[in-house]
Amino acid sequence: MITQRRTLLATGAALLATPRVVRAQAETFRIGALNPVTGAGSPYGSGMQRAILAAVEAINAAGGANGRRIEVFSEDTQTSPQAAVLAAKKLIEVNRVRAILGTWSSGVSLAVIPLTNDADILLMHTSGAPALSTPPANAKNLGYRFQATNDRFGRAFAEIAVREGFRRPATMAFNNASGIGNTEGFRRAWAAKGNRNGEHVVYEPNQPSYRAELLRVMNTRPDVIVMGSFLPDTTIILREWFQMGVPMKWIIPGWAANPQLVQALGPAVTEGIISVDSVSNEGSPAFAAYDAAYRRATNRPGLDNVYAAMTWDMAHTLALAIEQAKSFETAAINAAIRQVANPPGEAVPGFAEGKAAIAAGRKVNYEGASSVLDFDEFGDVTPDFGVFFIERGQINRRYVVKI
Amino acid sequence: MLGQLFVAGVVHGLVIGLAALAVTLVFGIARFPNAAAGDTMTLGAYAGFAAHGATGSLAVAGGASVLAAAAASLAGYLLVFRPLARRPVAALLVAAIGVAFLIRAGLGLAFGHQQRVYQVPLAWPIEVMGLRISPMDLTLAGVALAALAVAFLVLYATPIGRQMRAVADDPDLARVSGIRPFRVMVALWLLAGAAAGIAGMMLGIKTVVSPEMGWESLLPAFAAAILGGIGSPVGAVAAGLVLGIAQEVSTPVVGFTYKIALAFAVLLAVLLVRPRGLFGRVEAVR
Repeated sequence: MITQRRTLLATGAALLATPRVVRAQAETFRIGALNPVTGAGSPYGSGMQRAILAAVEAINAAGGANGRRIEVFSEDTQTSPQAAVLAAKKLIEVNRVRAILGTWSSGVSLAVIPLTNDADILLMHTSGAPALSTPPANAKNLGYRFQATNDRFGRAFAEIAVREGFRRPATMAFNNASGIGNTEGFRRAWAAKGNRNGEHVVYEPNQPSYRAELLRVMNTRPDVIVMGSFLPDTTIILREWFQMGVPMKWIIPGWAANPQLVQALGPAVTEGIISVDSVSNEGSPAFAAYDAAYRRATNRPGLDNVYAAMTWDMAHTLALAIEQAKSFETAAINAAIRQVANPPGEAVPGFAEGKAAIAAGRKVNYEGASSVLDFDEFGDVTPDFGVFFIERGQINRRYVVKI
Repeated sequence: MLGQLFVAGVVHGLVIGLAALAVTLVFGIARFPNAAAGDTMTLGAYAGFAAHGATGSLAVAGGASVLAAAAASLAGYLLVFRPLARRPVAALLVAAIGVAFLIRAGLGLAFGHQQRVYQVPLAWPIEVMGLRISPMDLTLAGVALAALAVAFLVLYATPIGRQMRAVADDPDLARVSGIRPFRVMVALWLLAGAAAGIAGMMLGIKTVVSPEMGWESLLPAFAAAILGGIGSPVGAVAAGLVLGIAQEVSTPVVGFTYKIALAFAVLLAVLLVRPRGLFGRVEAVR
């Protein structure tokens, strides 16, 4: 009886183990595509996910990374930290992914990064909060940012304010890490240029009115108001400002001053607003490859979605690092990321070229579609910034600033 | 400057006051904190948004807000709160939170989570006694005052209003006097829903419409209901105004981050001196 039960157990265990053995023969490197398909990030999210899939397709077509195919598990953050944490848990515990790519919005990335740190896997994100550079969020140096920090946005705002001849800027910031990061970056850069900073107001979310905040700023008679803001609060603030009847210039980050803002407020209110966003590494061979893939996947030009270029670069950087490390261990991959992305080395525009160069024993430097993609000590990159003017309801790019 | 802040506070306070009216009516008569009041506001805001988009008329939008929110409120009573009527307050509160979730999720599915904006004409302010007031604020204040006038007429000048107040005072005495509780409850939920609907539309016009907007404004509404004296309609509106004005007028002193906390400091101070609230009555000890 006992023998029989033991035999049964052994057979059962063998049966259970079989699929694992079969699977092991074609083992893949699993990654999670965790993007804002719905919610505030929905204009970008599905394009970001498709760019990851297209990049992985190209990588697998070139033989995979270090001999393994990459397998993608897609999830939606709903642009909400709660939903993102649930999805990240599922990716880590059920799908056993070895890296998570493409979280958007600082609240989401700040919520997900403790999970990826605990699981000892990489997080590649597109969020701006300066807190994501340093401990505790990036205590293990496993976080990589493919977007400019809010601080760099602030520096770009200062360059633009100088170029546009503003003298008396005031600042208004949404009370979170991202909003305050923008205005602090601006104020530091503006002071460093030997200028005096104007009034600074930090406001709370979900207020029925921002009249008091606006009055405080307007009473100091600034010639421009620099914002660290998001779409809903920007909508309310600009509508109240317009109804005050006092002319004003605005410098606003691109995720707030976007087509939805123009649609909400109309051309009269938004006329002349300066919208600033990071721009892709246009004109680079990597961007051309991304653009072609993005058009195939979505029927839209790659210029439409600056974040999709970033997720394209995430998949490429990761695959090249695995190829360089000749390992699937997080520590080895992490150590190889700057090796393949930063100078010196042979500039490569894609995975196939990089793989060949690595095989030939040369050091590579991946020049990305979103930026030249050189990571500093914090895992941050420095893209260029596009300066867009809203004119008669159209958002037109006038020039690019480098910081 | 102080005058401008005062005006902003009045409009803010009217929105809080209407929401607090919805909360306090339910509290006074059905005797539980209705956590679904915030999301009933949201429903009103979306109904008004849809009607305004279709017709461009603010009056039609207001009607749609009132109808939709009152209907949802009544449905909540018939389907959830009535079957639970004799349960402890905690059970009703949790049920109300459930109804709130249901409404919010339904609106998220139907309209999506991106912001919606009432396309109202923007105009430059007009000068009233040296104060610059936007025409929309005047319109909204008018809407709120009209809604309050109707609500108080129903409460104080109609038989059903008298019956509602009787049930609020003493449910058992009301019952033995021949008042039918069901009719009173239907009238109560319709009135509370309508008030929340108008508050939601006003908030939607002033800000942006999103599924979370009502839930996020529930706390000030509860604060105003408590400050005004639980169950007192006049108190709820007065307390809404006090909180709204206190928040705005205090900003030159306490700044913008702490203005929300200040509203609660006012609440604490009043309750310490006058535990029954501004207009509340001392409950008899039985």
